[in-house]
Amino acid sequence: MPLLAQLQTIYQRKDQLWLLIWLGGTLLLWGWNRLFLNAPALARVETGFANTFIIALLVILLSAALGWLSGVGLYFLEKAGNSLPYLTLSFLLNIIRSIPQIVGILLGYILITVQIQSGALQRPGAVIPVIAMVISLFVFLEISDLVRERIAYYRKRDFYNAMQVCGIPEWQIVNREILWRNSLAHLFNKLISIFGVTIFLLCSIDFIISVGLSGNVSSVNLPATLGSLLAKIDSKQDILAIGHVLTHPGYLPRLFFEHLQGITVAFLIVFTLLCIYKIANGFARRHEL
Amino acid sequence: MSLQFNIRIAKHRRTFIAIDHFEFPEQKVTFLFGESGIGKSILSKAIYGLLNPLRLDIHINGDSYPDYLRSARTQKFREAGFFVFQEPSSHLNPLIRLQAQLREGSLADAPGEQEILRHLWNHTPEQEIRKLLEVYPKPHRPSGGEKQRFLLAMAFKKLLRMQQEGRAQEGLYVFDEPSGSLDNHFRNRFLEMLFQRFRKGPFSAIFITHDYSIISEIYSRHADLREQIAFKELSRQDDRLVLQDFAPRAYLDWLKLEQSMETPPGDRRKPLLTMKGGYEIFGKKMIFRRNREEKGPDPGMLQIHRGEIVYLKAASGVGKTTLAKIIMGLQPCRRLEMRIGELAFSENTPRRVWQQQVWAKKIGMVFQHADEALNLNSTVQAVFAGLPIQPPLTPASIVQLLNELFEGTIEPAFLNQKVSLLSGGQKQRLNLLRTLALDTDLVLLDEPLNGLDFLSIQRVIAALKEKQQEGKAILMISHNEEIFEAVIPVENSYYLDFAGGV
Repeated sequence: MPLLAQLQTIYQRKDQLWLLIWLGGTLLLWGWNRLFLNAPALARVETGFANTFIIALLVILLSAALGWLSGVGLYFLEKAGNSLPYLTLSFLLNIIRSIPQIVGILLGYILITVQIQSGALQRPGAVIPVIAMVISLFVFLEISDLVRERIAYYRKRDFYNAMQVCGIPEWQIVNREILWRNSLAHLFNKLISIFGVTIFLLCSIDFIISVGLSGNVSSVNLPATLGSLLAKIDSKQDILAIGHVLTHPGYLPRLFFEHLQGITVAFLIVFTLLCIYKIANGFARRHEL
Repeated sequence: MSLQFNIRIAKHRRTFIAIDHFEFPEQKVTFLFGESGIGKSILSKAIYGLLNPLRLDIHINGDSYPDYLRSARTQKFREAGFFVFQEPSSHLNPLIRLQAQLREGSLADAPGEQEILRHLWNHTPEQEIRKLLEVYPKPHRPSGGEKQRFLLAMAFKKLLRMQQEGRAQEGLYVFDEPSGSLDNHFRNRFLEMLFQRFRKGPFSAIFITHDYSIISEIYSRHADLREQIAFKELSRQDDRLVLQDFAPRAYLDWLKLEQSMETPPGDRRKPLLTMKGGYEIFGKKMIFRRNREEKGPDPGMLQIHRGEIVYLKAASGVGKTTLAKIIMGLQPCRRLEMRIGELAFSENTPRRVWQQQVWAKKIGMVFQHADEALNLNSTVQAVFAGLPIQPPLTPASIVQLLNELFEGTIEPAFLNQKVSLLSGGQKQRLNLLRTLALDTDLVLLDEPLNGLDFLSIQRVIAALKEKQQEGKAILMISHNEEIFEAVIPVENSYYLDFAGGV
């Protein structure tokens, strides 16, 4: 395909376009920081960025697994007329649903801190999966609900009955035909949104913890994320410098050389969330979801 | 003289329809056959000028579509012609009364409205027709057949007006599956009117249909027009669309020579399926009759024995498909009294009994619409995945199975083809094969010839005969009466009817 046609295709596929914009913007920012940000600060930003993304990726994997299992499990329990296990699982999920996500994750952080202080969570590498698990626990219901909606929708279609009367096992119809073959795009789109929600929640909570509980919590060495970096004193000064530019426009060029840490972190958060929003929208439009 | 078109239709730079010679004789009625989904409608819409040039990249005879639409000939096609859509609901405006739609635009002062309606609504009191004219079209009212007749009435009004003005020859009249929702009586009334008009003055018409029994009707009642009628078939050869002449004699001769599917000798004492009439569904009591004229309160009984093929007939909308779903336990009903082999079923039998004892063990069912019965996001091979067959189907055995109903050599790549990319006829054949592959005593077939071309119809009939010779019983539900009356003994027919309100 000629280059012009390829570019035209990418321009029409807004999800791919915004993914490229995000990758390009992030790489450009990293290159700029390599040139103008001091090495220790750059290392902190890189670690915070990597940790944030690893946690968000783990969250979407765990949410996909939990959501799929719980959605399918609930469907089969309800269908089997097995009321006690069905009611128990529904009750548990509704309890989780009733807790605001940010409050639930904050409670999870308290447990993680206790575990770290008691020595149960020693290795820094072990904390990241636990944080991902805590966040997943409060976001996976979106996947679970979607799975149940998709099954309910396709149950009314003829192909569900047609396959059943051909003797094809129901678990195969539900898992493979309905969810895998007919709902993957919907699930993927939801996971993109969960990726964005995770980054937002993680940054918000890490920021809250780092600002409000900085003295004690920093002693337990929670992994650095974009949110905790934003709460550091030098980042805060960098952000305040943006306000300073409003009254002293001549100060603007210095932002890009002298206040890079805070501006980079803030820009990464906002830019990433914007791009994820656009990617999810473009993906939904392209697949006519 | 003929209308000749070379058509290319692409989307996102991918050509999905291309034909070099799409040709029709001028001033003749051309019947266009071919399996569904092969492109008959879209090609006809393209030449009539109904496609959107902003959504599709279309070239006709080398011209871009906007240029084609601007050409004098295309404009005359539309000004002096009419296009009757396949799906009447998409043609009628739900916000305007039928009466007003019948008099819209160029139809406003077109003559003959009353006569046309009276002809198409034969036997219907004038008062009933007037009531219908006041209706805003909704999905459920008027019925599909009535909507279709309104569209035909519009086409005839336009035709009549153009004939009076001497311009009918300039127009193009396209009838896209105009008899899809009509029973044979109303279809024949429509054909009668079409040919009546044609005798008054010829015009160019394309009549898209899957209904091969139209040929018999033409040969028996409109034989004088044989020279003015062309039969064509659109088919795919080596991945290319080809429009060829269709020999009507081939169909008529096949019909004459086709042997009746007599029940092979065997044990008739124990029926495979017994269902008493008198079950109630949607507030109606349903009964079985052994012949059309039979009257009386007896609810009757449907009974099918091993090796028997039973033809269930009913007027459109009576509930043939619903009955099939009741037998399969997919549709609950009241006062159900049914036996499948040794098992008794009533309205209280839970669905899991069918699941455990009946589905794919005793009865298999082919659903009416392949588009809905198959998972369109699946692949050809995956359609057969999970069927309870021993030994399990391998790619090689699937190819062997496909060869029963598919022409040509099945390439292994075909197994990975997405179902949504197949033509309607290919989907229907997959739909049939999935059920025929099962080893069930009884097969329920709901409109098995839907969307098939003549060659596929012959193959399906042959496959069903083979199945019957193996001792399997078949319950046939189909509106293709001419074909099935030729192959199913008349004593094996049942009529489903209402017994009146409950």
